[in-house]
Amino acid sequence: MKKKKIGVYICHCGGNISDYVDVEKVRAAIADEGIVLLSKTTMFACSDSNQRDMVEDIKANDLDGVVVASCSPKLHLQTFQNVSMRADLNKYTYVHANIREQASWAHSDDKMGATEKAIHLVRAAIAKSRYAEALESTKVKAIKKVAVIGAGIAGLKAALSLSEKDCDVILIERNSVVGGHVAEFTSLSTTTETGYQIITRLYSEVLKRGNISLLTNSEVIENKGSVGNFSLKIRKITNNDNQEIIDVNVGSVLMATGFDSYTPGEGEYGYKSLENVITLVDFKKMIDSQNGKLVYNGKQIRDIVYIYCVGSRQSDGGNTYCSRNCCTSTIHASIIARHKFSDINNYHFNRGIRTYGKQEILYAESLGSGDIYLQFNEDSIPEISVNGDKAIVKINDILSANREVEVEADLVVLVGGMVPRADNSVGSLFKLPKGRDRFYNEVHMKLRPVETAIDGITIAGACQGPKNITESVNSALAAATKSYSILSKGELETSPLIAVIEEDKCSWCGACQEACPFDAIHMEEKEGRTIAQINNTVCKGCGMCAPVCKPDAINLIAYSSSEIMSMIDALA
Amino acid sequence: MEKNIDKTSYDALVIGAGIAGGEAALNLANTGYKVLLVDKELSVGGKMIMLSKVFPTLDCSACITTPKVSEISRHSNITIFTGAQASNIRKIGEKEFTARINKQPRYVHIEDCTSCQLCEEACPVSVSDQYQYGLIGRKAAFIPFSICSPKAAAIDIENCTLCGACERACPTNCIDFTMEPEIIDIKVKTVVLATGFKLFDPLDIPRYGYGKFKNVITAMQMEREIAPTRPFNTILRPKDGKVPDKIAYVLCVGSRDASVGNPICSQICCMYSIKQAQLLMGALPMADVTIYYINIRSFGKGFEEFYQQAKGMGVNFVKGKIGRITEKENGNLILRYEDINSGKLQEEEHDMVILSTGVLPNEGISELFEGDTLGLDKFNFIGQSDALAGPSRTSIDGVFVAGTASGPMDIPDSILSAGSASSEAISYLIQHS
Amino acid sequence: MGELNKKSAKILVFSTEKISDPAIDMAGLLKLHYPPTVYTISLPCSSGIKPSWILHAFERGFDGVFIAADGSDCIYGESCTEKTGHIVANTHNQMKEKEIDPARLRMAAMCSVCSESFVKQMRSFNEYLLKTREA
Repeated sequence: MKKKKIGVYICHCGGNISDYVDVEKVRAAIADEGIVLLSKTTMFACSDSNQRDMVEDIKANDLDGVVVASCSPKLHLQTFQNVSMRADLNKYTYVHANIREQASWAHSDDKMGATEKAIHLVRAAIAKSRYAEALESTKVKAIKKVAVIGAGIAGLKAALSLSEKDCDVILIERNSVVGGHVAEFTSLSTTTETGYQIITRLYSEVLKRGNISLLTNSEVIENKGSVGNFSLKIRKITNNDNQEIIDVNVGSVLMATGFDSYTPGEGEYGYKSLENVITLVDFKKMIDSQNGKLVYNGKQIRDIVYIYCVGSRQSDGGNTYCSRNCCTSTIHASIIARHKFSDINNYHFNRGIRTYGKQEILYAESLGSGDIYLQFNEDSIPEISVNGDKAIVKINDILSANREVEVEADLVVLVGGMVPRADNSVGSLFKLPKGRDRFYNEVHMKLRPVETAIDGITIAGACQGPKNITESVNSALAAATKSYSILSKGELETSPLIAVIEEDKCSWCGACQEACPFDAIHMEEKEGRTIAQINNTVCKGCGMCAPVCKPDAINLIAYSSSEIMSMIDALA
Repeated sequence: MEKNIDKTSYDALVIGAGIAGGEAALNLANTGYKVLLVDKELSVGGKMIMLSKVFPTLDCSACITTPKVSEISRHSNITIFTGAQASNIRKIGEKEFTARINKQPRYVHIEDCTSCQLCEEACPVSVSDQYQYGLIGRKAAFIPFSICSPKAAAIDIENCTLCGACERACPTNCIDFTMEPEIIDIKVKTVVLATGFKLFDPLDIPRYGYGKFKNVITAMQMEREIAPTRPFNTILRPKDGKVPDKIAYVLCVGSRDASVGNPICSQICCMYSIKQAQLLMGALPMADVTIYYINIRSFGKGFEEFYQQAKGMGVNFVKGKIGRITEKENGNLILRYEDINSGKLQEEEHDMVILSTGVLPNEGISELFEGDTLGLDKFNFIGQSDALAGPSRTSIDGVFVAGTASGPMDIPDSILSAGSASSEAISYLIQHS
Repeated sequence: MGELNKKSAKILVFSTEKISDPAIDMAGLLKLHYPPTVYTISLPCSSGIKPSWILHAFERGFDGVFIAADGSDCIYGESCTEKTGHIVANTHNQMKEKEIDPARLRMAAMCSVCSESFVKQMRSFNEYLLKTREA
């Protein structure tokens, strides 16, 4: 075999790397490594002009592979695999070294150390590159059908959007009715339609679509398979509490399981212990169902205190995040209360009003109509006590030099935010990773905002984090496009990075079969011997079979013992 | 790059090649549709490609934008016209739009330019550089900015003296003063409007002294000072080149302010200011950074934590409305403000002030259409005909809106909105095929 | 291996592409510092690590080996925790046979956002290894 020739590119990342790592020193250190024919530094390896240069370099020098040392492979592994492919190289000849997240940034306190580490990391990548060879992926059929889980506003919109793209949809809802939280919303701040009317409009559209099957009272209870072909078992509760198990195969799963409303703990601001303390959710139902006078527990309500950020923005508590929608939602409800009922005084005990964007108009309207806004800090929250049938709410108002203000309220409304679903069984079933806020996490907020770490599973709406209706619908449509684009071609390429067996060494003990979580290994008679065989389309390349093999007959492609050991040598 | 010049028929016309337009074009192209992407600027990438890092992850903006840009410019289903504007868009029947593309001459043959910069060196004309927001100058023969795409020189014909120096210096003879404006009439089946936003011009609030006091700059100018492709190699204040050590941010400049005609919140300024403050604390460890705010709106995923992180790093947050800014002889600035917490008027000296200017709608978008009327909302952003259940639909069936053209939003929301617009456009194309 | 770094021990980390790598990357993003002599080799899953690789690292002069295991977040299934644990136990036995201090191999489950925990682990492991190096 002719000697391998590779090119190595070391990225400045416009200073993100080169401010801490001496990239020229790195280049010089690796320039003479055996297979390195060409080595360069570049301001932005990912820029169009550098990509073009790389293609030219590969072609002009007849390179067998390239190594780019830049940011995390999560961002740009694919970018440079594509560059290799444009230069007629197989994408698996490409090797990536992460010298930003794992060198320049991690060791910005130690430039020498960071540079030294970068040199070793690039050497290890070069070592791996020696073994990197062309691999062909297997093509599998992709089922042009998507399971949408959750039929709230996001799920309904996603289903409709997929249906319009001539893609079959199975829409799975745990409850007996569709619509989720939005169906319960009465008046909305941006339209004259109610939440219920919007849901009805979408639902009747869903019913008209021949390619959407809606399953209510249904839950996914089992998931096998992977992108292109997930085999789901769905349990549907039918009449008389009987259950029916439905098997369905889909190419992609779109999660739109929504959120739970925060329920205050018992005693939190007097919740459940004091009579006139209720949640915003209950308050909205109350103002919707009454006319003329606003009455609670038989008494007319005049003075209403709203306490914001209950269960949100807690630096020590469980929910550090802002729930995004509650300020607008509360102000909207308070405006309706003022318009609909006589003699209403609204007192907003807030932590800074966040009516972002056009929602600001509502805040301005509320201020203009005489609502009182008082503000508190997290370390000095309002106190509630009882005086007769009134609740006395005390606050140190930071808008007036911490002056203590007391309001005698007929009703205290606790503004709770959005929290992740308490029942996350469906998320666990698909092994969806969660973020620090315990909502489902996207791969990358900007590059891949609706994809998850699990191939073929997209996320939409508030299961990813607090969102208002518009934002949920936007993300639902974006997720629908993504799920559709995975399947639209009807076939998918599966990774060739799978386990291989050295048949000479194997004498079948069954340990690998036992270790494999995917049933990808079976026993086979071959030329008079009993050996293990790997099913290439089922193997996911986890490598669990390799360490349990006593005769060391199993290696994972691209992670073989010889590759790993040579990387260890390069790092040592 | 600018291929298929004579092609006049596409599935989709996407106007604006910022992050939203680029994302929408890619989604359409990846689904197999032919897209014409036009942008009035000399480069694709919009405002995002000019940014330093992005909140709340502090990813470098160029690192996210450039791969998208390069994917767009290489995609076989996407044709790009830069320096071009669409007009006379008219819906014909149920399935077709006609439009006119007015392409301004670049006076450089892009495919022959190697961006060697010799024309820049040769050009004797210096003018203010709009891509660096006026922080530095550029030549009349120039490469717009270092990571622009297409990466090719252009001639600023307004300021060019036609001396011919660039032409003589160019090793590939790619400069061509005989280029004429081109008018291309096209047919498309759907239109995506991703025309973005413009930033509030702080000259409209004279009491802040922008334009008069050199050390009062806009956040977009600071963005350039801290970007990886920054014009100087450090952060400095424009008046004397001193490295600042007491920096103030003034929020809500041109936002939430009915007196300048913009009552709404711009949604991004709190966060970009907090981001810049964090980056400045990193770059200038000895510097004090104070943010004067009305309300901090850190509402998105990871935003509140990012705000708390800034507080933890020592960024000073003062709830106060700035009344007036005056300049001392040494170039330092006195901020007179109402301290909202105490209700008292206060004064504070800073050596550099950054105005966090707000988001305004681009003008003239509805004038691009003939026949049907493109509806606007009351703030002159593109109107959403079904804001809740179909946020990217407009008053014209088959015309969709992506990103900040419909109102202020941050980058993640713009990308989701572009996903939404392209989803509707794909559905529309399938349903009308 | 080159001259001994006095400040920091040489640690080889086996990380995983989908779970612990993002945490290690985020540590960098947040500029949470840890010794620069910590090197990462990333694999699909921590239950695919062969004991022979770990022993090889010790032979080549690494002071410590750390497995940033998938734990219960593993995308390949729940058996990962148990299997990785088994690999560690197996390797510990082989280390004892070769008279290598078993404490030079550590394992902890790292979720995809466990950046701070990773950095803490690296710092304490580093301290331990430096102390034993002196002893």
